[in-house]
Amino acid sequence: MSTASAPPATQRGLGADAPKANPARALLGRRGVAKLLLLAVAAAVLVPVVHAAWPGAAWPSALTVDLSGPLGKTSDWIIDNRDNHWLFVYFLGHLSNAVVISVRAVYLLLLALGWAGVTTGVTLIAWRVAGWRIAATALVSLLVSGALGMWVPTMQTLALMVVAVAVSVVVGALLGLAAGLSERLFRILRPVLDTMQVLPAFAYLLPVVLIFGIGVPAALLATVIYAAPPMARLTALGLRGADPGVLEAVSSLGATGRQRLLTARLPLARKELLLGVNQTIMMALSMVVIASMIGAAGLGDRVYQALASVDVGAALSAAIPIVLLAIVMDRTTAAAGARIGAAGNTATAGPAWLRGWQVWTGVAALTALLALAGRLTGSAVWPGAWFVDIAHPVNDFKEWMVDHLYSGVPVIGGTADWAAHFTNWVLNPLRDGLTALPWYGTLLIVAALAWLIGTWRTALTAVLAMAAIGVLGVWKPSMNTLSQVLAALVVTLVLGFGTGVLAAGSKRFEAILRPVLDVMQTMPQFVYLIPVVALFAVGRAPAAAAAVVYALPAVIRITTQGLRQVDPAAMESARSLGATRWQMLRQVQLPLARPALLLAVNQGVVLVLAVVIIGGLVGGGALGYDVVTGLATGDLALGLVAGVAIVCLGLMLDRVTQPTERRTTGKGA
Amino acid sequence: MATTSAGASEIPNARKAADAAEDGREVVFSVRHLWKVFGPKADKIPDDTSVTGLSAQELRERTGCTAAVRDVSFDVHKGEVFVVMGLSGSGKSTLVRCLTRLIEPTSGDLEMDGEDVRAMDRTALRELRRRRAAMVFQHFGLLPHRTVVDNVAYGLEIQGVGKAERREKANEMVDKVGLAGLEKRRPGQLSGGQQQRVGLARALAVDPEVLLFDEPFSALDPLIRRDMQEEVVRLHREEGRTMVFITHDLAEALRVGDRIALMRDGEIVQLGTPEEIVGSPADDYVRDFVRDVPREQVLTVRRAMRPAEDGEADQGPALAADTLISDAIEAVARSGGAARVVDGGRCLGVVDHACLLNVVARIDEDRPGEVAA
Repeated sequence: MSTASAPPATQRGLGADAPKANPARALLGRRGVAKLLLLAVAAAVLVPVVHAAWPGAAWPSALTVDLSGPLGKTSDWIIDNRDNHWLFVYFLGHLSNAVVISVRAVYLLLLALGWAGVTTGVTLIAWRVAGWRIAATALVSLLVSGALGMWVPTMQTLALMVVAVAVSVVVGALLGLAAGLSERLFRILRPVLDTMQVLPAFAYLLPVVLIFGIGVPAALLATVIYAAPPMARLTALGLRGADPGVLEAVSSLGATGRQRLLTARLPLARKELLLGVNQTIMMALSMVVIASMIGAAGLGDRVYQALASVDVGAALSAAIPIVLLAIVMDRTTAAAGARIGAAGNTATAGPAWLRGWQVWTGVAALTALLALAGRLTGSAVWPGAWFVDIAHPVNDFKEWMVDHLYSGVPVIGGTADWAAHFTNWVLNPLRDGLTALPWYGTLLIVAALAWLIGTWRTALTAVLAMAAIGVLGVWKPSMNTLSQVLAALVVTLVLGFGTGVLAAGSKRFEAILRPVLDVMQTMPQFVYLIPVVALFAVGRAPAAAAAVVYALPAVIRITTQGLRQVDPAAMESARSLGATRWQMLRQVQLPLARPALLLAVNQGVVLVLAVVIIGGLVGGGALGYDVVTGLATGDLALGLVAGVAIVCLGLMLDRVTQPTERRTTGKGA
Repeated sequence: MATTSAGASEIPNARKAADAAEDGREVVFSVRHLWKVFGPKADKIPDDTSVTGLSAQELRERTGCTAAVRDVSFDVHKGEVFVVMGLSGSGKSTLVRCLTRLIEPTSGDLEMDGEDVRAMDRTALRELRRRRAAMVFQHFGLLPHRTVVDNVAYGLEIQGVGKAERREKANEMVDKVGLAGLEKRRPGQLSGGQQQRVGLARALAVDPEVLLFDEPFSALDPLIRRDMQEEVVRLHREEGRTMVFITHDLAEALRVGDRIALMRDGEIVQLGTPEEIVGSPADDYVRDFVRDVPREQVLTVRRAMRPAEDGEADQGPALAADTLISDAIEAVARSGGAARVVDGGRCLGVVDHACLLNVVARIDEDRPGEVAA
């Protein structure tokens, strides 16, 4: 449907729209119908055959491959040989030692600096890089983390973050550099990076555990795999997007290839590079927290433990530092990017002593001084007296909510009632429907949708991914996960499009909404589980609710932007013809913003899936739960198969919703 | 048009080139039969006589190739401003890029100061670009993250010149193009005209033998464009540097050019002085092109004069042979009678109201033989 309508639609005014749209739409309709007819013919031939061979709705067991045996054997072999096989002794062993040592070193350094030293250092760096406002935020954030009794876990997370981000940035930048300079490598790498960007974090956990076992190396490696792609992607795009006019001018002056790279291409890509660092940091934080499940100590671990015992107060105490850390890191790197991106000569602003190495020496000296002072006063770690216990009041409040809000509230019912209703009236029928639907029917629907929205290539990928799920023998849990994704997606889209339309229509509403969205988009996925558990207890409905909340900001953003960017000339001509607001929205804005809306759906699906999977931790069941169980019980085969199914599901959902034109924006921020 | 010299007839208006060579003027760029073809098997096209004669569109249909530069030959002399002019898509920008092989020519000969540019290896070519030919671009091509002075010094930095020395040189150039006081700004903080001055200073800083301009002022407002053109004319007067100037603006070509090569579909359709182009268009295309040019501001009295009749050789105001018609009109109007055209004390002829009006009214176009060399 979108194939031919998108390009003319972006240029067309309303006057031209009316007469031209109908034949165009008719043509499209015909093309869509042709695709569907083709599929119907194929189905008419294949379905009876397939049905005769394997009757029944569930994926036929004859077509499954049981991987648990071989996978279990592989896992056993790795465990047996971890200490003596050359691959581990000479390569992976060193890798894992290096990781452990560097994380440990950073952690010890942070502890040695003490709370006074770290607070001073971080605040000063934030001030230098991003200005005093963000420095103040950093200061308050660290103090709050300490006061919540989370100083040591915060330092653990920070140490892991420092190493993970450093490695991710280096690896990502090198990959990006290669892809930016070599056309062939770019063509190979781009689809891989694009795909990695849509996969849920959970999918990466099992393979690294298989190799490294549970522990810091596995956590760090998973984080690097998850966080390096945006850096690589943006580096490559930045290098390729350099103004050809400038590059030509540089060549005309006789620059060598190296000079071109160092004096022109890299500096011209600075904005993208910094955006890459920013995205890498945010993704690394998100993953470091999740990686607590595979042995990363720190704040994530605290949340994980607390969620396991549904201790909302303790979870919140650990989640607040995570959110604050995320905000500080995001704002600092974003501000640095904005400064460099601005054409102004801010680098030379301010008195001379505030510039260059002097100021950094000053920062280091002051940090050392305060660290020393902290040690001398005998409070290297956070002083125990400065502790604010929020866990108990929060838990008391939660008890009160359980008593008063969960059910029996007059007229509107309680939150637990809503969750139950959502589960009974939406999730259950959807899941049962998907399970009852013959598997070839599901495949056909997937093929039809993907083909109508995208190309035959995307349709083929989607169908193959879906079939792979069946072959792996996890059709049923996958349908369960899918039902949660679909339900959450519908809610997300209804809320997101509605809010987006409102925000696009009212500047004031958008101004109020923006800071909220900013904060929401900064928070790691894990954190969203806490409030929904507090509100809805555990189960599939809270998992879906967390997914909705997580995906909503991106959908609202893209919708608002898409509607705002509609050609003002088209809007003006519609207004001059006397169109009402509603007519303008329906006949001009929404059709012209269609690419943006499709992108919103795509992003929504990807983000919803990520959190629905993580929802396995709070009773979401299905594939996410398989991964968690696999990890917890050491049944790697179960977890790995579920992980592959998650990858397939992610691929399928992405391809089905993928508009013909490949999107260019990144995930989240 | 007079293309009389035998042996050089492949060059449009070759007499000019031949004369110049006889004058002993050095040739900086010598271009012969240059081709640049884009498309599949592009290198086969220039030698394939079955397709070289085709029009651009036929060529594209037959071979899928586009010939941006077709069999172009010309010489650029030391110290002149050589203008290549044509509409967009005529191949002029490709042509100028071929001169330093920013775009690799498909075939033909290309010499600079007698050296074969096409045979140069990478090092030699880099040296040529670094020291001998510097280019000014339509969209400036400045590095946005560098200050004005660092942009100007960039060419020297590439050459490996020390920091103090290149700063000094760059500051000198910044003053020369009238940007003193803006050294610490960044390109984004400058107007378009100022940015192009930076581009000009950057090219001048390496002290090249030839300056290449690729539509340098097309992106500027008309008034600023005028300023910049005068700047170029002034620079040329002061330094006498050889310039190759690409433009699609005929007025600009006439204002800055010593000689103009007019291109169409990759070929040079006429090459000559502004007066020759305006006074004696080679074909209808050129005629169409110069139709709106105020002829009295380009043509000289040489073209308008008629032989002196009895007694006229001794009276009336005297005008030099290269006086513009517009100035002659004023002189004739003031004196009320005919004026004499004098060259070295000898009277070449006279101009009166009728002669001058004929030129302005284009009634002289039927007399192609009268072009003064």
